[in-house]
Amino acid sequence: MKQLFNKILVANRSEIAVRVMNACRTLGVPCVAVYSDADRGSKHRFFADEAVHIGASPPRESYLDIEKIINAAKETGCDAIHPGYGFLAENPILVQRCIEEKITFIGPSPEAIRLLGNKVASRVKMADAGIPLIPGMKDSSVDVELYKKTAEEAGYPVIIKAAAGGGGKGMRVVKAADELEDALEAARREAKNAFNDDTVYLEKYIVNPRHIEFQVIADTHGNTIHVFERECSIQRRHQKIIEETPSMALDDDLRARMGADAVKVARAADYTNAGTVEFLLDETGKYYFLEMNTRIQVEHPITEMVTGVDLVVEQIRIAAGLELSEQVRNLTQRGHAIECRIYAEDGENNFMPSTGIILHYSEPVGPDVRVDSGIAAGMEVTIDYDPILAKLIVHAPTRELAVRKMIDALNAYKILGVKTSKKFMIDVMSHPEFMAGRTYTDFIEKHMNDRKLNLKVYQNIAVAAASVAAQAVPSSGAFSREGDTAITPSPWQTIGSWQIGDSINE
Amino acid sequence: MSSYEFLIEGYDTVTSAVEKKGETFFVTIDNKVVEFYPSGDNLFNAFINGKRRLVAVARSQNGTTYVDIDSVLIELKEPSDDAFGSGAGDAGGEKDKVFAPMPGKIVKLLVAVGDEVTEKQQLVIVEAMKMENPVLCRANGKVKAINFADGDQVDTDSPIIELELAKQEQSD
Repeated sequence: MKQLFNKILVANRSEIAVRVMNACRTLGVPCVAVYSDADRGSKHRFFADEAVHIGASPPRESYLDIEKIINAAKETGCDAIHPGYGFLAENPILVQRCIEEKITFIGPSPEAIRLLGNKVASRVKMADAGIPLIPGMKDSSVDVELYKKTAEEAGYPVIIKAAAGGGGKGMRVVKAADELEDALEAARREAKNAFNDDTVYLEKYIVNPRHIEFQVIADTHGNTIHVFERECSIQRRHQKIIEETPSMALDDDLRARMGADAVKVARAADYTNAGTVEFLLDETGKYYFLEMNTRIQVEHPITEMVTGVDLVVEQIRIAAGLELSEQVRNLTQRGHAIECRIYAEDGENNFMPSTGIILHYSEPVGPDVRVDSGIAAGMEVTIDYDPILAKLIVHAPTRELAVRKMIDALNAYKILGVKTSKKFMIDVMSHPEFMAGRTYTDFIEKHMNDRKLNLKVYQNIAVAAASVAAQAVPSSGAFSREGDTAITPSPWQTIGSWQIGDSINE
Repeated sequence: MSSYEFLIEGYDTVTSAVEKKGETFFVTIDNKVVEFYPSGDNLFNAFINGKRRLVAVARSQNGTTYVDIDSVLIELKEPSDDAFGSGAGDAGGEKDKVFAPMPGKIVKLLVAVGDEVTEKQQLVIVEAMKMENPVLCRANGKVKAINFADGDQVDTDSPIIELELAKQEQSD
């Protein structure tokens, strides 16, 4: 097989960087990592074939610095850049710079990113294309009265969103008129901090909605297809934590209609590469276009589990100018897949971010259990970056079996030193409403609010374990970083040259 | 046979007795015996009433023990330690001092000196890990002092806000 690129620079960190590198390996393309000061000991740095230090820990001085990324690619002879998700993944200026430097950006065109990255502009475009939209403001405004007027017309509750937004940042639900001004101010502030752009807009808030998104892939030969849905209704603070496919809410007819509209959205934006079209689905089966994400999504693995496609491999193939294969154009859904996001956060305390040193790390194993992880024992989780540590994905013949397999896998997934929401997610999936498939985006607020974990039943066994550890388990700490006195090296430092699957391509 | 004492925040101290036979640990608590079979670094298969559980346990260099049982994460200390001080935890410590849950930036102070505040009221918003985290009041009272301003960086050791607690809270 012809090597598609000379070398690919992965302009990201942690689990998604590792994930992309695995796709590079599958295709026999060497890959280059970039890393900041805080990531000197990180998994992704040692997983790549080469690694370039690009600056200090704050993202602005490293992962968000376009010129540093471009220089790292040029220095190492990379002819393509994969941006992962977050950071620069949806930044059209990076794409523009890649074009100027004759480096292939593995993703859509800058025009498509600009259009779809602006929620206001993309709504106008999609309305013209005949895609159903949620009632709300046609345009952003600084006029508080206009927000009030639109809210009255659409009817409370309403939601305020950041025009440049994503990941729940800059979003506020407003239940009554007297909350509007405070919420508007908070949304603007959060949008300003997260995106350096305080443009927000307001629309009707759909009650009992499901978040249904369609994976889309488009090559540069005019083939645009969808690879079915993902349901991502289980969210806390508007951030997804559990995703599954297929959705319990879709039958073949609805799936076909929504899928066809997803393809229509991608075509309207002249979209190429992998993207995701997000819809809200209400209880009556009406759906509304939310936005199209112009990147590989955090939750892409569940699509891979049920279809067998490797979406990142497809991204690289498309970027190299290849046509979608016959096989990829005829994928089917097989069985049920679930993903649980493992965040460094306290599931027992309002999802407060948790930092610390990973004192122990061990993954579950077994057929159809996949872990996409960016961490290892000895690593420090700091406040510098997004708190996602890893993703646990399972596949089983039915939803019920997938849930059971996920709970087993979560219980066997051991991460000590920072808090996670494992137990919280188990309780979500064990809830009768979840089991019945009644998963709406307010699930956590509605069903998990009064949940309180009683440690009393675990007290004796925990003390027993601690007592055994006092005798038998040495204390753990951080592995040393460069320049520190060596104490315990990272496994990624000592493992030497190795790779999963394919033989080393030299 | 060695005995140990451990404490989980908010619960009483529990005493255990550990006996090692071969590679197996037999731990007696409340006249019940739990068997621990080592299963790799930090991992044990624990048998409780015949039921197996995979338990992970690690000890940090500052004396905290971390345990995962059925995905429940538990932190334990030895009772002699200055256990669960007022610093980072938002559950322990004095209720009249309000700390950031983690190092971050003060986005907005929502109260002023002299304000009457009630339990669960949002007092200040601290940004960390790109998210805004509201810090809630843990008791009824009055704002006595505010030690930081919007935009300031805070750690977890210096109180952002100090309260004068309402009477019934003090005798609590």
